[in-house]
Amino acid sequence: MEALKVWSVTATPLKQLLRLSSSSTRLATAIYGRRSYHSSPALRCAAAASSSPSNAATAETSKPSGRNRRAASSSNSTSDREAIRSIRLKKVEELRGQGLEPYAYKWEKSHSANQLQEIYKHLANGEESNNESDCVSIAGRVVARRAFGKLAFLTLRDDSGTIQLYCEKERLSDDQFEQLKAFIDIGDILGASGSMKRTEKGELSICVNSFSILTKSLLPLPDKYHGLTDIDKRYRQRYVDMIANPEVANVFRKRAKIVSEIRKTVESSGYLEVETPVLQGAAGGAEARPFVTYHNSLGRDLYLRIATELHLKRMLVGGFEKVYEIGRIFRNEGISTRHNPEFTTIEMYEAYSDYQSMMDMAELIVTQCAMAVNGTLTIDYQGTEICLKRPWRRETMHNLVKEITGIDFSELGEDLGNAKDTVLLALQDVVEPKDKSGIGACSSLGHLLSEVFEVVVEPKLVQPTFVLDYPIEISPLAKPHRSNAGLTERFELFICGREMANAFSELTDPMDQRRRLEEQVRQHNGKRAAAAAEASEQNAKKDDDDDDESYEVTLDEDFLTALEYGMPPASGMGLGIDRLVMLLTNSASIRDVIAFPVLKVQQ
Amino acid sequence: MEGSADQATQAISKLSMDSTAGASDGAGAGAQSKNALKKELKMKQREEERKRKEEEKAKLAPKASSQSQKAVAADDEDMDPTQYFENRLKYLAAEKAKGINPYPHKFSVSLSIPEYIEKYGSLNNGDHVEDAQVSLAGRIMSKRSSSSKLFFYDLHGEDFKVQVMADLSKSELDEAEFSKLHANTKRGDIVGVTGFPGKTKRGELSIFPRSFVVLSHCLHMIPRADNLTAKKPENWVPGQPRNPELYVLKDQESRYRQRHLDLMTNIEVRHIFKTRANIVSYVRRFLDNQRFLEVETPMMNMIAGGAAARPFVTHHNDLDMRLYMRIAPELYLKQLIVGGLERVYEIGKQFRNEGIDLTHNPEFTTCEFYMAFADYNDLMKMTEDMVSGMVKELTGGYKIKYHANGYDKEPIEIDFTPPFRRIQMIGELEKVANLNIPKDLASEEANKYLIDACARFDVKCPPPQTTARLLDKLVGEFLEVTCVNPTFIIDHPEIMSPLAKWHRSSPGLTERFELFINKHELANAYTELNDPVVQRQRFADQLKDRQSGDDEAMALDETFCNGLEYGLAPTGGWGLGIDRLTMLFTDSQNIKEVILFPAMRPQDDPAAAKAPLQPETNKGE
Repeated sequence: MEALKVWSVTATPLKQLLRLSSSSTRLATAIYGRRSYHSSPALRCAAAASSSPSNAATAETSKPSGRNRRAASSSNSTSDREAIRSIRLKKVEELRGQGLEPYAYKWEKSHSANQLQEIYKHLANGEESNNESDCVSIAGRVVARRAFGKLAFLTLRDDSGTIQLYCEKERLSDDQFEQLKAFIDIGDILGASGSMKRTEKGELSICVNSFSILTKSLLPLPDKYHGLTDIDKRYRQRYVDMIANPEVANVFRKRAKIVSEIRKTVESSGYLEVETPVLQGAAGGAEARPFVTYHNSLGRDLYLRIATELHLKRMLVGGFEKVYEIGRIFRNEGISTRHNPEFTTIEMYEAYSDYQSMMDMAELIVTQCAMAVNGTLTIDYQGTEICLKRPWRRETMHNLVKEITGIDFSELGEDLGNAKDTVLLALQDVVEPKDKSGIGACSSLGHLLSEVFEVVVEPKLVQPTFVLDYPIEISPLAKPHRSNAGLTERFELFICGREMANAFSELTDPMDQRRRLEEQVRQHNGKRAAAAAEASEQNAKKDDDDDDESYEVTLDEDFLTALEYGMPPASGMGLGIDRLVMLLTNSASIRDVIAFPVLKVQQ
Repeated sequence: MEGSADQATQAISKLSMDSTAGASDGAGAGAQSKNALKKELKMKQREEERKRKEEEKAKLAPKASSQSQKAVAADDEDMDPTQYFENRLKYLAAEKAKGINPYPHKFSVSLSIPEYIEKYGSLNNGDHVEDAQVSLAGRIMSKRSSSSKLFFYDLHGEDFKVQVMADLSKSELDEAEFSKLHANTKRGDIVGVTGFPGKTKRGELSIFPRSFVVLSHCLHMIPRADNLTAKKPENWVPGQPRNPELYVLKDQESRYRQRHLDLMTNIEVRHIFKTRANIVSYVRRFLDNQRFLEVETPMMNMIAGGAAARPFVTHHNDLDMRLYMRIAPELYLKQLIVGGLERVYEIGKQFRNEGIDLTHNPEFTTCEFYMAFADYNDLMKMTEDMVSGMVKELTGGYKIKYHANGYDKEPIEIDFTPPFRRIQMIGELEKVANLNIPKDLASEEANKYLIDACARFDVKCPPPQTTARLLDKLVGEFLEVTCVNPTFIIDHPEIMSPLAKWHRSSPGLTERFELFINKHELANAYTELNDPVVQRQRFADQLKDRQSGDDEAMALDETFCNGLEYGLAPTGGWGLGIDRLTMLFTDSQNIKEVILFPAMRPQDDPAAAKAPLQPETNKGE
């Protein structure tokens, strides 16, 4: 597709245009910073350049045959943009002057580009299909444009793909060909109708007999090369990214498919979709710093949910036996390639089941999604081959730690200090200093086991692995293990060293639950007090709010009361949808799978 | 926490508070702040107050037992609720002390209760299938006994019930074990039974357990139906009238604050939320079938755009950034159309920092979709198809019954037969109210004319009296009230519609419609404004309104405007309120009926609601 090369260089010709109109940098600066096209210096420049619109169009879109492809420096490109904007605004006026609306109301398209490519696969080079039924209409964005004396080629891109428009002067009515040459720029959205033909060179084309400008674009299409270097802009202006890199849209198509497949899988197992509140009086169900907001008319602080767990369990108390919610969760934590302050999870709860059957459900969901978007269970993630064929490995945390580190926690004894010494000795060559202090800070054997697991084992769990039977100290909502004291019936699913899902046989004993949550609050308040003390020692350099532990954790009495009414034995699972989409679309960063990620404030 | 704790001090669950107070006393008295102590003290006082009332009530309550079988539950259900709760705790503690886990990990259910009914419902009266073995689980909602050797239970699961006939002669237990087990099984407990199916001589489908195990214990008394022969609510279907005044648990506060109790005792309520799921699922299917793509856009925004409303404010600590909860996804969804996705939709929560009333909850669910190359005429057709098709699928016809005037009045009928009525806003307003509004709606003259008109008709419009607000009040007074059956009010003025495209043939108006049903706005849609110059101008006009005191006027979003400059295809955009639609289908006059956990006013401490903002936390103002 030769034509496609054209639009990738549209940022540069403007410099030529400015040269043509003998404008100086000073003038360019004058253009920049003005929003209104009625402003005088800019208008003079633009008017001069476009007094003959066809000249302007030619100047703007003529192709410097691959030379000067280097991206314009940012200051120049900004003023280029403003110049182009002025010229195109002028075209908008002129079109209206001719009674043509450059922002049309609607267009009936008969086909998508991809449909046409499919339907007319059989057309031979040079062949034309002229039946009445072959009169098609299409709409999309102009991504390439070559105009000659009596012939012009445009490449149109829509949601599905691209197709060439073959515009011959004789076939078009009245002065449409002149219009095309004078007014149509790369970036415009166009509707066109005509018949189908394959050119001698083999390019399937629509022989246009009429077209309509549907939306006049004012800015040049982003330069592909420039776009790639400006990663931040890709996320700040996602539309620029999507126009420059059509494959970006595929990630969001796959994302939609994954969510839809998850929904299909759980609904066919009888789960009911429900919605629980985002704004809550107490943020429970996980350990994370919540966002705080304030409701004016209620006159109270509200927290954004950090999990959907507690409300969904109340549904089980209410008599629903299988419920799920796909929704946004909010955590007031730092951003990274794996963390966005808002992210999407599915949480699901099923009465009369336990964590063993939830493992089957996790396998089912992930494999169904993989088949739906990739058609295979062997996938590549950032250069690593991942095999999702069932069944996946199921192993206890104790055994995994033993396997990787040689430490057998079941033989460490009850003394925490001794256990830490043993662990530090065994791992002295493996762990970094900060991890050593993390190990030193562990307040129980359970925390110690979990810390060793996180530091040493997690990164090694590349192929799908269910890690079973977490210590009770770090699992306040999970049911005690039916046969191993000190452990819970809990698993986490790891793929590529990342946690994808977390599930347990749910704790249903209200007295035990209350004790565990109270313990959690007590621990949190302890850390908080310690952090506050430390902060005041450091002469209170920072605002109290900035400490990691400065937020309040409270008991959710409504949840505890609900448990007292009796919750059936149940299992529940939370699965991170963003991370699943990353895995299945081979995306390195969470920002690649969230259309509008949160970014730092721009300088 | 305050709210949450407060919510728990609630007529029905009040008992739990004693345990809370007791438990936290024991656990961390030393660590408790003064505030917490004060709070606790207050709670205790309230508790005592309430307990007293409850006892009085209990004395007055009639002892309902018209059944032929003796209600054995009576002995403990007449007990003081606190005593009841403590007895239950003692029982569990005793079990644990004996090494018995009162909360088993797993019970294998072989059939759900509806499956069981389907499979064995056709047995003849008196038939027993003793060689079959079935395991069922559910909640006991009723317990009766005729002797210490024979107990009857109603076992509920997934909206259905089956009788459990626990007969010592069929049980694996000896007599002592048997009577002890059943004496300690209470109404509200969740049990698993394994036994054989059969029908009693009187035709009641039952299960005859060989083994019977309590899976989870109900530690509180649960509300009991005054009259067990009350109408069977499970017969309710969407589109039919309901009557919550006949519910077992009637008190609205209790129903909304403790939804689990509401769902447990009022089976109809479970159907409301199933209906809600069906509505969402229908919308999704409708759009998926037309090749729309479901997307997710941010709920936390740097600028709260896309609608006129007061946003919630929050703060990201690590980035030290002020964020607003979204009030509409519109601007993001249009950016995706610019990016080349031609049909997108999002079903999700919106947040508005506004008062709570019968039709407003601070968070609510909408569906918005955007469709390139379509206009508002196409969207009206789609709306008719979607809404009428949904009514047809969910109710079987096009007409629904709705208690528009309260449950004590006859329900009205709403007819969804397409096509829906269409009325042109300004033209119809002039006709109905006999007005002649100046054509230039942006003029001073028009503003003055409308101020006079409002005064003449005694239509209140609190300041700022912008033309847009005045018109809105008049339309509410004269047009919306006529929209009982689905009606499109179309072609709103530009000044009321900053994101809608100017009308192709009527200057000063836009190509916009709102769908009204039962006098409430259900949907709002327009041909999208995609001329960036005009869009910027409209934002500038909004700024003027904002400066004149309308703090709900829209703010300019530069990223969005920049997107328009890259070219937004001609696009039709559409938004629908899912909660309000669910209200119609479920005969609900209060939005809290259709939201599982609606926002509730802090319950017991009116002073707290008005307390001054605490300085150290991030607030909305």
